[in-house]
Amino acid sequence: MIASLLAAAGDWVAPTLDYHALAPEIILAAGIFAVLSIDLFLEPEQRWITSALSGFVMLGALVTVGTLAVIGDDTRSMFGGRYVSDEYALILKALFLVAGYIVVLMSSDEIERGRYHQGEYYVLLLTSVLGMVMMASSRDLLSIFVALELLSIPAYMLAAWNKRNSRGNEAGVKYYLLGVFASAITLYGMSLLYGVTGTTLLTDLGSAITANGRFSGVEVIAVAFIVVGFAFKISAVPFHQWAPDVYEGAPTPITAFLSVASKAAGFVALVTLTFVAFPNAEDVYQPFMWVLAALSMTIGNLYALRQTNIVRMLAYSSVSQGGFILMPLTVAGVDGVGESALKAVVVYLVVYAATNLGAFAVVIAVARKTRSGEISSYGGLFGYAPALGVLMTIFLASLAGIPPLGGWFAKFGAFKAVLDADTGWGYSIAIIAAINTVISAAYYITVMREIWMKDEPTGDTTPIRTPPSLGAALVITCGATIVLGVLPDIVGRFGDITDLTGALGR
Amino acid sequence: MSAVILAADDIQVAQNIGFGIIAAIMVIGALKVVTSKNVVHAALSLVLVLSGAAAQYILLGAEFVAVSQILVYVGAVMVLFLFGVMLTRAKLGKETDLDQPKAWLGVPVALLMLGVLAWVLIDGFQDERLPADATSKAAVEISDSVLGPALVPFLALTFVLVAAVIGGIVLARKD
Repeated sequence: MIASLLAAAGDWVAPTLDYHALAPEIILAAGIFAVLSIDLFLEPEQRWITSALSGFVMLGALVTVGTLAVIGDDTRSMFGGRYVSDEYALILKALFLVAGYIVVLMSSDEIERGRYHQGEYYVLLLTSVLGMVMMASSRDLLSIFVALELLSIPAYMLAAWNKRNSRGNEAGVKYYLLGVFASAITLYGMSLLYGVTGTTLLTDLGSAITANGRFSGVEVIAVAFIVVGFAFKISAVPFHQWAPDVYEGAPTPITAFLSVASKAAGFVALVTLTFVAFPNAEDVYQPFMWVLAALSMTIGNLYALRQTNIVRMLAYSSVSQGGFILMPLTVAGVDGVGESALKAVVVYLVVYAATNLGAFAVVIAVARKTRSGEISSYGGLFGYAPALGVLMTIFLASLAGIPPLGGWFAKFGAFKAVLDADTGWGYSIAIIAAINTVISAAYYITVMREIWMKDEPTGDTTPIRTPPSLGAALVITCGATIVLGVLPDIVGRFGDITDLTGALGR
Repeated sequence: MSAVILAADDIQVAQNIGFGIIAAIMVIGALKVVTSKNVVHAALSLVLVLSGAAAQYILLGAEFVAVSQILVYVGAVMVLFLFGVMLTRAKLGKETDLDQPKAWLGVPVALLMLGVLAWVLIDGFQDERLPADATSKAAVEISDSVLGPALVPFLALTFVLVAAVIGGIVLARKD
């Protein structure tokens, strides 16, 4: 019986693996088990070792990303184009690994003080980063969905890590339920797409959709469901309601991780799908993206204006920033603009990651002293902690898009992409974005005014002691924010138009 | 003998009748899930729906998916569900506060989704039908692709499970 089955199915060939291209994933996977098993043998006072080891695992994986960028072919394709390591994937892998490393730096002191389960915390963090790294390379619906689950499931649990606190529990449950709901919608869209096209490979999907010249209803619904599912992940309005509660209830380093890395992973999936799988579906996704981008910017901003808690303010600000990152995708299908739209999204993701991580690092440092998340607790920060005051000002100015900081260059790229498109959609979203840039400056400046003009509300002006790891996180993010603004060509080169889009199969 | 009749007849009467009966059972079960006042009854009605889905997979010649559906949903998920009910609630039996006061809002949404999805599926697939001589090699093909093109997601799933177990233990344990 088995012999006859085997004879009938003899066409299996072992896949060829490019171990160099898979090296970042392999190092992360090995690191997960190293941290997990070493943690078993550590005394409570040695637990810092797991944190240090996790940091080294991220850096080790980053080194292989570097060697991949330098040595050999730019594009390494495996499994018939289902898993690709190209420049687009490498720059995003580097982004996820650096963001993960900064989150480890931000966590080490915070998590140790809270006496949480440190070993498990870092294992879950590494697992989530592994999912993101996988997402950057995935060019197949199956890999994209599994990568989405791999990065989300650890994140659901990390959001609930403050488990003795009812807000922490609320954050975990809310994030989990809405996240699973979104995953189910995405999966339903993907299965409909597989049903009509018979393939899960993105490049094949690209040629199969509208192959007969007209959109079938199934294709429209499938594309819409997939976009909606990822809109939850990137907390675009109207799918953003979970974000402020989850950000407030989760441990602050995890909030930074969710608002930067997890969000960027959602964008990566959306961008890969848009450019590789839906190049002919622009009539469906462009209006969708337009509505999502316009609503995210405007509603995110209007809510951010009313917040008195810094974490909730940054949560709504990240919703609004998400709208700006979506903006170039509203014109991604216009001839000749796709390339600069792609570049704008990638550059914005990199700059936003550096800036927002930095802002959260300052929030953690200040909360060590004030034990408060209220914006009013930043009063007089410059007086007793001038370094933190200046850093927070730099990060907020970059988020607002003030030159010569990184955020300015990112916004410039996004505006340039939609204006180059020379369409009604492009001009209208540019006008909405311009208005929102001005509105957003208002709430960033409110915090700056507290830092520079006001007095410390309680009169307690003892200086803040910043632990070295948090200091390192601040230095890295601040350096990146300034350098990306002054010398934008650094990322501009990575987002080199022809390489990126060539690699994406256009 | 019957295979000859089915191959000759384009419409495959037996399958269609089977589909109709199972589909009716599934719809009734699904309605029971949302209308039942008793949590355990709702869970058992869900078993009916999930088993019905498994039966439909068999009719479509996807026996591997059908077996996984039984093992995972009817076996593991439902047992978990009933354990959850058993461990967290003292009271078994009728409850009055199960319904949201605004539950009726779900009705038009559900009807709208039903309409839209029914239309797109009928429009998308028109009168395509399964080949009458379809022999199932689904399990073989799945194993080939799991150890071939889908190797990376397959390995990644192991990490999903590891993460879920570790995180679940941390969040559930008392300390």
